[in-house]
Amino acid sequence: MMEAGVLIGRDNSVLHWHTPNERSGGALPDSRDLWDIIWESRDIVTGFAHTHPGSGVPGPSHTDVTTFRAVETGLGKHLNWFILSSDSLVLCLFDSEVGELWQPSQTLVTVELNSSHTDKMTWMSRLRELSHY
Amino acid sequence: MVNIAANEAIVNVTWAGNNGDLRDPVSFDATDEEIRTWVTESVRTGGVANIAADPNANFADFVVDRFAATDETPYKRIFLRPKTPFGMHLLSSWLAG
Repeated sequence: MMEAGVLIGRDNSVLHWHTPNERSGGALPDSRDLWDIIWESRDIVTGFAHTHPGSGVPGPSHTDVTTFRAVETGLGKHLNWFILSSDSLVLCLFDSEVGELWQPSQTLVTVELNSSHTDKMTWMSRLRELSHY
Repeated sequence: MVNIAANEAIVNVTWAGNNGDLRDPVSFDATDEEIRTWVTESVRTGGVANIAADPNANFADFVVDRFAATDETPYKRIFLRPKTPFGMHLLSSWLAG
């Protein structure tokens, strides 16, 4: 298994497949190229999904959470952060009731999604292929 | 136009959906922590063009990229931008080991 990511735009469109050479079965490395693509897509990007190893309901790592926060503060807007395992999908997002921009008081909420939520997420199967699941 | 010495660089930062340069060049050899400190002070006090003052600005999870001068940009540049790693680095280290 190798972790992989996908940058997602409106209507679940795929903006960029993220499969850097330095990826491993446990991590995607820091990437200026990825940030440049996120920044260039800032008006249309709505989220980012990446895979975790194994099965069952995945949870965000400390690295994930601090990256979510850094990217949102850079963009000045919230994104949907998806994490996939071999058989499950969760959505992580900061509590947006506090405001449109990320604020230190906001907490991360993680929700498990099922097939009724994921019908239009056609990128899911390709992302698992790229992760060698 | 700011005069930029050979050992200096212009610092660009991205914050809250905007992007701008610090007013004064800095040493290209400054440490990452020094750059984060200078940028934090500048953004908190409104010292970066195009970026509104934000007293809560915090760049702890931003990374420093450094670029040499080019024909197109004839001076060194330093960028402070959000980090983008994902995953469980402890597991990665274990697998690599």
